[in-house]
Amino acid sequence: MAAHLSYGRVNLNVLREAVRRELREFLDKCAGSKAIVWDEYLTGPFGLIAQYSLLKEHEVEKMFTLKGSRLPAADVKNIIFVVRPRLELMDIIAENVLSEDRRGPARDFHILFVPRRSLLCEQRLKDLGVLGSFIHREEYSLDLIPFDGDLLSMESEGAFKECYLESDQTSLYHAAKGLMTLQALYGTIPQIFGKGECARVRNGRRVPPDPMFCFQQVANMMIRMKREFTGSQNSIFPVFDNLLLLDRNVDLLTPLATQLTYEGLIDEIYGIQNSYVKLPPEKFAPKKQGDGGKDLPTEAKKLQLNSAEELYAEIRDKNFNAVGSVLSKKAKVISAAFEERHNAKTVGEIKQFVSQLPHMQAARGSLANHTSIAELIKDVTTSEDFFDKLTVEQEFMSGIDTDKVNSYIEDCIAQKHPLIKVLRLVCLQSVCNSGLKQKVLDYYKREILQTYGYEHILTLYNLEKAGLLKPQTGGRNTYPTVRKTLRLWMDDVNEQNPTDISYVYSGYAPLSVRLAQLLSRPGWRSIEEVLRILPGPHFEERQPLPTGLQKKPGRWRYRICHRHH
Amino acid sequence: MPEVPGLQSAPSCWTTMCQDRVAHILLAVGPDLYLLDHAACSAVTPPGLAAGVSSFLQMAVSFTYRHLALFTDTGYIWMGTASLKEKLCEFNCNIRAPPKQMVWCSRPRSKERAVVVAWERRLMVVGDAPEGIQFVLDEDSYLVPELDGVRIFSRSTHEFLHEVPVASEEIFKIASMAPGALLLEAQKEYEKESQKADEYLREIQELGQLPQAVQQCIEAAGHEHWPDMQKSLLRAASFGKCFLDRFPPDSFVRMCQDLRVLNAIRDYHIGIPLTYSQYKQLTIQVLLDRLVLRRLYPLAIQICEYLRLPEVQGVSRILAHWACYKVQQKDVSDEDVARAINQKLGDTPGVSYSDIAARAYGCGRTELAIKLLEYEPRSGEQVPLLLKMKRSKLALSKAIESGDTDLVFTVLLHLKNELNRGDFFMTLRNQPMALSLYRQFCKHQELETLKDLYNQDDNHQELGSFHVRASYAAEERIEGRVAALQAAADAFYKAKNEFAAKATEDQMRLLRLQRRLEDELGGRFLDLSVHDTVTTLILSGQNKRAEQLARDFRIPDKRLWWLKLTALADLEDWEELEKFSKSKKSPIGYLPFVEICMKQHNKYEAKKYASRVGPEQKVKALLLVGDVAQAADVAIEHRNEAEMSLVLSHCTGATDGATADKIQRARAQAQKK
Repeated sequence: MAAHLSYGRVNLNVLREAVRRELREFLDKCAGSKAIVWDEYLTGPFGLIAQYSLLKEHEVEKMFTLKGSRLPAADVKNIIFVVRPRLELMDIIAENVLSEDRRGPARDFHILFVPRRSLLCEQRLKDLGVLGSFIHREEYSLDLIPFDGDLLSMESEGAFKECYLESDQTSLYHAAKGLMTLQALYGTIPQIFGKGECARVRNGRRVPPDPMFCFQQVANMMIRMKREFTGSQNSIFPVFDNLLLLDRNVDLLTPLATQLTYEGLIDEIYGIQNSYVKLPPEKFAPKKQGDGGKDLPTEAKKLQLNSAEELYAEIRDKNFNAVGSVLSKKAKVISAAFEERHNAKTVGEIKQFVSQLPHMQAARGSLANHTSIAELIKDVTTSEDFFDKLTVEQEFMSGIDTDKVNSYIEDCIAQKHPLIKVLRLVCLQSVCNSGLKQKVLDYYKREILQTYGYEHILTLYNLEKAGLLKPQTGGRNTYPTVRKTLRLWMDDVNEQNPTDISYVYSGYAPLSVRLAQLLSRPGWRSIEEVLRILPGPHFEERQPLPTGLQKKPGRWRYRICHRHH
Repeated sequence: MPEVPGLQSAPSCWTTMCQDRVAHILLAVGPDLYLLDHAACSAVTPPGLAAGVSSFLQMAVSFTYRHLALFTDTGYIWMGTASLKEKLCEFNCNIRAPPKQMVWCSRPRSKERAVVVAWERRLMVVGDAPEGIQFVLDEDSYLVPELDGVRIFSRSTHEFLHEVPVASEEIFKIASMAPGALLLEAQKEYEKESQKADEYLREIQELGQLPQAVQQCIEAAGHEHWPDMQKSLLRAASFGKCFLDRFPPDSFVRMCQDLRVLNAIRDYHIGIPLTYSQYKQLTIQVLLDRLVLRRLYPLAIQICEYLRLPEVQGVSRILAHWACYKVQQKDVSDEDVARAINQKLGDTPGVSYSDIAARAYGCGRTELAIKLLEYEPRSGEQVPLLLKMKRSKLALSKAIESGDTDLVFTVLLHLKNELNRGDFFMTLRNQPMALSLYRQFCKHQELETLKDLYNQDDNHQELGSFHVRASYAAEERIEGRVAALQAAADAFYKAKNEFAAKATEDQMRLLRLQRRLEDELGGRFLDLSVHDTVTTLILSGQNKRAEQLARDFRIPDKRLWWLKLTALADLEDWEELEKFSKSKKSPIGYLPFVEICMKQHNKYEAKKYASRVGPEQKVKALLLVGDVAQAADVAIEHRNEAEMSLVLSHCTGATDGATADKIQRARAQAQKK
């Protein structure tokens, strides 16, 4: 079911099983039939670790979405609320519980907080007079969710906003907790590296970055938590050699540029949510003759995208320009495989052919899906506007004309293109120019306010607060230095058989990837100057391992990087 | 309780019984026995009771509540099941004096049943045998029935009377030939270096009874109280084990451990003379609890360490108990207690400093509790206790240290209720992390407080944003909205954010204007952007007003052209569009005109503008209007390879065949040169 999680260098099924076990244990505590009332936000992340079948095995008979007034009727013994610890949700829960029909059969209420139980929320429930109605109040620490064979995600899309706009570091606390869980399962990670600040905003001004701050956040929290967990001395041989903590703030450029891999473009155009994508249904209509196209499906086609699908695993990270050839090659292989049936003469051969049929049919279905998706994407990428936008992006990233008002952006505003597109371009220009000249910045801002409405003064202020958009201060553009030292722009890109990561943006090599590459070889000492330009401190911490678990020095040993406290 | 018939004075004897988790009372009135429960009283007759009984003097229920014994005035003892359904045996002791005590003496799983009867100076053990065993008591004594025997206490002695265990009997019975007895003998002879050792051993081995022999010796050792005898039995077992290939060692090892523990607690300094069976029944955990209750901490810890119990259940738990006791020692200073506790406990896993601190607080030693909490690594435990002790500010800094925002919130709300507003704000001011969290809280729960917070901090930029938000969310009337914006503009000026202040003033102007437009023209203008307001005016034919507005708000020329172009095309007012296109030279070129006409499927109009498109975009424009042939001509004229390929890619069908050829020829020619 989740076999693709065990193919990577680290078997992430171990983690998945651990979180599933925890869920089962909680469900079994509430004996008898149950209904789950979901905080809608959580259904996506939960879908990644437990399908409905698992819940059903543990007597979950009904599922509802959390909303006000009375709960829908359900003939079950237990009602379990699965929610994030948020006050507004507590109010809804209280409303549900209070409007429960007293004449009906008595039902037991429980709350499962994800990912953390909250005193604040329990206090609120107490104030509302319902705290006593809950038999089990527990937490389900779903911090790091196994996403793919080599990827864990917290699925916490608001984290950057919370940290930088609201100075709320809850997500960092959860990250530290998640890493503790990871270490409990996979051994203590001996080396931690990090880069980036979590600047505190006081009185609306940025205070000078505190070099220990990031430390205090994730790394220090981890070390602190380790003290709390002593008693279960971790005796697992470490699976991970190094941990690299990067603040998003260090690399604002990468998420602004248009992604050009197959998966990246699906995300750009249709948006991937918790590994699912919703696509326009027309392309996926069942191709049956005689239907006359009268029952075209109207509901969006929902597909799960992960490496469990062989073909997707192969093409997801390819530059979109290299996907077509793979698809056509695959098509030939599959039709050749189906042709094989004519060669099957003996009973044995036919039997063998039939046994391969399910696999072949799955492959054919998968190919059909991805061919349709690729066609949809191609319609977009071959459009003139897409080309123009890409050209501007690439000019900015390679350092051309970043210091004046760009006429393409002007035209986009004048034609009221989607605001998000305009903002991405303006922010990209700002980042590639270490901030915009005051005149240029004000011009863009004025144009945006006049065209899209004054209310976006708040949007623009938030972008400035997060550092995505800013006036150039100090008068020097440091981006060219960063670009050259880290080789962020590569002119010779091989999209078909790439040898360098820059293929993913057809020229731009993501800054965070470069930092990781340089850390592994030759070490960050070689790029001290750039590290000083990028925001926040960099640090290194060693976690002592119990004797007997130390690894012999191998080729993955890094040198200690500069440390200033 | 129901009435008992004929009960005038105290019953001659009574006892409580327990069956199927229900408690009964058995009560004797003269010759009659009654069984009482909470509702009923029924007369009962023990089966096979001898005749001539006129009253019962004593009755006894066994330790397990399974058996009952009755002593009658005739000196006759009836023994049977507690259910009174079956008689086990009877005995006539011929002593009519009422006994002081009668108790059962039996061993779990043993078939022998016996009752011990005590008079002033005499003790008699009776059972299913014609003769009883008599003992003389030197002093006044008291009997306590226990799991596997009877304890006999007097002023100066403490004795234990029990049925001899099978293993011990087998070994120590005179002239016993049981395997265990032979093994013990063999070992003794071996120590004397006598060859008899071999003879005895051979005898056991020939019968194949060596494993039983070893087992018997181990078992018998368990029942001995005298260490020398334990040793000699264990030595025999160990000796026998040498001649066995596969004898699992655990029973031997465990017995050695158990005996060491038992001997330690039986020491008169400790004084817990448990038997082996009792110890096993009790479990080590309960024994440790008893030691802890008697404050025998060092012994308890030694036992834990000796038995290698996991720290959390063993040493840590005991240390925690010790610490809880320690904090009650009022004569020792807080400093010393805290240091002593930390020295002993250190970072021992499983020790909860907060539990100890809670105990200290319970004894009224708040300062000590706070000192102890310093050692608590789990903030989740530390913070609530600090709050309970009204050390909210300390709790706040601990919560912040932990990074757990939920804890911080909890403390904040606590502080908010505890302090007056001014002090609360001052506290926040010194804790930026707490302050920003509280701001978040206010944003969702208490908007007014948020404003006060910004005011206090002179945070004009945020205050401005606050008023902007209010102008959308809180205010309905236009005057109110404008007033909110005015407040925002003032704040932005104070924040030295000229741009925002100007933009806000523009917005105030726009709102008033839109209001006027709505009054004069009808329709919906409020909350449209400047751009959309102008567009709407053009769409409703108010060109003059549109022009005026564009001028007032200084819309750049290029954008205004785009705006008009889009609006007029939407209206399909081709005439006006053409007029507009000729009003002056277009700052955005004429390709957009072509594009927008084609978007509205008006090829006729599009062609008009195609001719005016500048040379750079000419080919594109011609292709858009479908004039492939002319596009080819222009491309060839430009000698532009890219343009030629573009045209070529548009050559479809038979009609464009000639054009395609033309381009191919031009290309070939270009290559020749």
